Amino acid sequence: MARVNDPELTKARLHLVVEEMYDRIVKGEPPTMTLPVRTKNNIGFDKKLGVYKYGKKRSTRDATSLGSAKNLLRALHVVEFIEEMIEAGKSSTLREMYYISEGWGLGKFGGQNESNNLAEDLEVVTSCLREDFKLRPEEDGARMIGNVTLNELNRRGQWMTINARDDVGDSGYGLPYNVEIEKIQLKEHDVKFLMAIETGGMFDRLVENGFDEEYDCGLIHLKGQPARSTRRIIKRMNEEWDLPVVVFLDGDPWSFRIFASIAYGAIKTAHISEYLATPSASYLGITSDDILAYDLPSDDLSKKDIEALNAELTDPRFADGWWQDQINMMLEIGKKAEQQSLAKYGLDFVTDTYLPEKLEEMGLA
Amino acid sequence: MAGIADKMASNQKQIAISEFFEKNKHFLGFDSLPRSIITAVKEAVDNSLDACEEARILPEIIVKITKIDVKKDILELQTEDNGPGIPQKSIEKVFGQLLFGSRFHAIRQSRGQQGIGITGVVMYSQLTTGKPTHVLSKISGEPTAVSVNIGLDTRKNKAVKSEQTRIIWEREDMSLKEHGVRVTTRMKAKYQRGRQSVFQYLRMTSIVNPHAEITFVDPDGERFHWPRVTERLPTKVDAIKPHPHGIELGQLQRMCRETSDSRISVFLRQNFSGVSMRAAKELCEAAELSVSTKPKSMKPDDVRALLEAFQGERTIGGKVIKLLSPPTNCLSPIEEMLIKKGLSKTIDSKFIATMTRAPTVSHGNPFQVEVGLIFGEGMSADKHVEVLRFANRVPLMYQQGGCLLTKAIESVDWRQYGLEQAGGKGVPKGPAAVLVHLASTNVQFTSEAKEALSDNEFVFEETRKAMLEMGRGLRKHLEKKKKMAKTREKFELINDILPAIAAKSAAILERPVPDLAGSITKIMSAVICNETTIWNKETKQTDVSVTLFNYTTRARSYSLLVNWPEKSGADIVENERGGRKEATGIWGWKIETLEPGEQAVLEYSLSGLEKGDWTETEVFFRGSQDVIGATKLDEKMLVEIRRQEEVLTQSEETNVESETDSESSFEPGVVEGDSAQTTLFGGDV
Repeated sequence: MARVNDPELTKARLHLVVEEMYDRIVKGEPPTMTLPVRTKNNIGFDKKLGVYKYGKKRSTRDATSLGSAKNLLRALHVVEFIEEMIEAGKSSTLREMYYISEGWGLGKFGGQNESNNLAEDLEVVTSCLREDFKLRPEEDGARMIGNVTLNELNRRGQWMTINARDDVGDSGYGLPYNVEIEKIQLKEHDVKFLMAIETGGMFDRLVENGFDEEYDCGLIHLKGQPARSTRRIIKRMNEEWDLPVVVFLDGDPWSFRIFASIAYGAIKTAHISEYLATPSASYLGITSDDILAYDLPSDDLSKKDIEALNAELTDPRFADGWWQDQINMMLEIGKKAEQQSLAKYGLDFVTDTYLPEKLEEMGLA
Repeated sequence: MAGIADKMASNQKQIAISEFFEKNKHFLGFDSLPRSIITAVKEAVDNSLDACEEARILPEIIVKITKIDVKKDILELQTEDNGPGIPQKSIEKVFGQLLFGSRFHAIRQSRGQQGIGITGVVMYSQLTTGKPTHVLSKISGEPTAVSVNIGLDTRKNKAVKSEQTRIIWEREDMSLKEHGVRVTTRMKAKYQRGRQSVFQYLRMTSIVNPHAEITFVDPDGERFHWPRVTERLPTKVDAIKPHPHGIELGQLQRMCRETSDSRISVFLRQNFSGVSMRAAKELCEAAELSVSTKPKSMKPDDVRALLEAFQGERTIGGKVIKLLSPPTNCLSPIEEMLIKKGLSKTIDSKFIATMTRAPTVSHGNPFQVEVGLIFGEGMSADKHVEVLRFANRVPLMYQQGGCLLTKAIESVDWRQYGLEQAGGKGVPKGPAAVLVHLASTNVQFTSEAKEALSDNEFVFEETRKAMLEMGRGLRKHLEKKKKMAKTREKFELINDILPAIAAKSAAILERPVPDLAGSITKIMSAVICNETTIWNKETKQTDVSVTLFNYTTRARSYSLLVNWPEKSGADIVENERGGRKEATGIWGWKIETLEPGEQAVLEYSLSGLEKGDWTETEVFFRGSQDVIGATKLDEKMLVEIRRQEEVLTQSEETNVESETDSESSFEPGVVEGDSAQTTLFGGDV
């Protein structure tokens, strides 16, 4: 998956956005910015890439209302700011950009959300990554433990070699925000598969029980909805080392969405799904069947949960038969369960019984 | 034997007076410690205001409360006015005798109607502290003031004077006080803050007495000042005779007994209002009395028959005797502009609607309802609106729920006017205060406490109508505000944001900054009117500016009209574009051709107004394309203006009562010839 990573090309693409506005004014029309519609109604499966991408639907943001006019002005300020950073060889966090916008007068952001959204808008229209824009997220990356060796370029410009089992403590190796090739090189590994885990509690349980060594796997803590860098590193290890990926989450509608963002691409970042999504990843659990089969302690679905499940039924990413069955079954039993509810049968049940049984089903143990 | 009878009567009185007070503390306003101090302030301030009004003096009142003994709850109250002063010989009557004063006999609007007044304060003070009340009084023309202590002999219902001297009354700045009264009294009472407090009472008093200057020093030494906002004293009210519809049997009996008239027909004509010669005869006929009956010698049954004729229970052949309405010049409304000023000096806000209804009559009693509504920032949005009730300029602070005026407010569905109200009933919520003032010769209270008005369908209907009218004003204001906000946004877009987009995009692409005219027309695609009405501190005038922008692709022409408060004495000055007066309170200009992208500016000032009198100008237009920020002139309104003007030219009536509010309506007025009408309102533009 080649990335643009060419400052001149990034600038040229950003200029196209500016030109659209300029040309409209010259023609005596209100300036506009055209961008793909970013909702689930406009994502479709890209057969060539094997992930979900934005479709053909476009929306035009035009300067006929104060709100959208201000948005266009902000976009111009951001473009200018990015150009300045590219030229100065600097980068900034999205939050820093938000504060810098204080000096943009009429073009300043009303809130951090606005600056985050605008950065995504520009990615979408230009097909560049925010790394190309020299913008960093605030979100922190995942933790990883397992016999995997990486080279990371540190801030002194030196490559460090780190083994994510032998060179780290119990909290594991912390992934930086940028996991692209210029920052992280995948050196070598001795694992059979990668397991992505939703909660910190479960991650620590598996580490404490030595699961990574017993089953020769790499463990990655997702921290809920995974950051881009987490999804990107999973994608790179899957692609570059050809490692299978299993995803171990809570058994609720929100976990289904986390899985979809790992495997098929998230709606918000569908413009870069080919960089972030790992189509071969498989869902290990907790499945709706597990709740019944293991008789897990469970909670009733809330109104919001039910709405989310119903929305998933019409989400193209969950269109296949297995997912439709899982979602319908959860609606039917009206229950959800956490990963850690497995502790009902003791602290070692998850590593001694549940995971081995599941991995066997998947042909990984 | 007679001696014993006198003694017995006197004994009865002894018991009566002190017991009367003890038993009726509740009605007299001394039933609780916090209320006692409010009542005392109220009696003193009411007296001062009434005295100043009668003497045509602009009142300056100072109220000071000091804590004397915190443990025993002893407060000292001192009130001082600049009224005419009380002559030395009258002091003991005013302060020491129950039910003193001429106003109990006259029928007119006055502040304290039935109360025992300041004497109650003297009595309460004596009962709770054993101390007399000190009075300092100076009348104009005398070199010195009277200084005297007043106590009460409760056995004889008489004032007891002590330590009377004449002194030189100097103010704090050593200048001589010309006239006025200062009362200093101590009492068992508690000073509190909040909705029922001396502060609130004085604040409300200052709202309905915009001609008064009131200063209050609270027990912590904090000073509050409500300045005078008008030099105009309330109109002097005439006392009127009772009207047959509003009289009771006892009163009629007494009048018959006390009159010296020898013929009942003369008695009726001279002692009642609304009774003509013909009506007097007819009343006698209905009551089956000879016109020459001597009132003094009427039997109880005769008096009853006369009353029945008054009330329409006795008729002549089924016909009720027609009586004229009582005159209404005995009322003294505050009037719209002054309510506005009164409200805006105590509450800082943008929108104020006021309305003074025409005087009307209920059961022979003239009355008049006035309301005011103030809305905007600075008031809490999620609380009930503040209800400010007044009867004859006296604040009503207790029993809000049981009061007729509150019920009238509650009967309106305020939701349609932009206020929150659960279920469309009850006191609404929102950043607003509602003022209701009832001026009447006979205010009916639910109880002797005189804090809530009793039910009266006429007063209720009048109040309700006034509320609806104000509600419509509020809705209009809110709609206008919304529209203005949208227009302001559009202007910000084309004046600030769009030029910034053009400049920035040009800079990034290193190209010339493009022209914006085309984009602006496309974005606005409308004709927009922008109005500002601002008080000019230097010139003491209200500056109005109206700008009309044509952001369409075609040339346009319009007539623009504005309203201005002509009937409040304002003149249009510095009006360079000329135009012409089209009706009373309406000025018009013709805007010939306004090319696409062009703008026309009308500027003028209003003289003869004070700050806050006029804060919003309404702009009307006549033309085919809609104008954002202005109202299309309504044909029906024109018809109405013309009709009213015709009525005015036909009759020489000078005192036409108007029920319209000054902000949005057209008063009958002088027109400068018919050609003006055709130019402006007649032919299409």
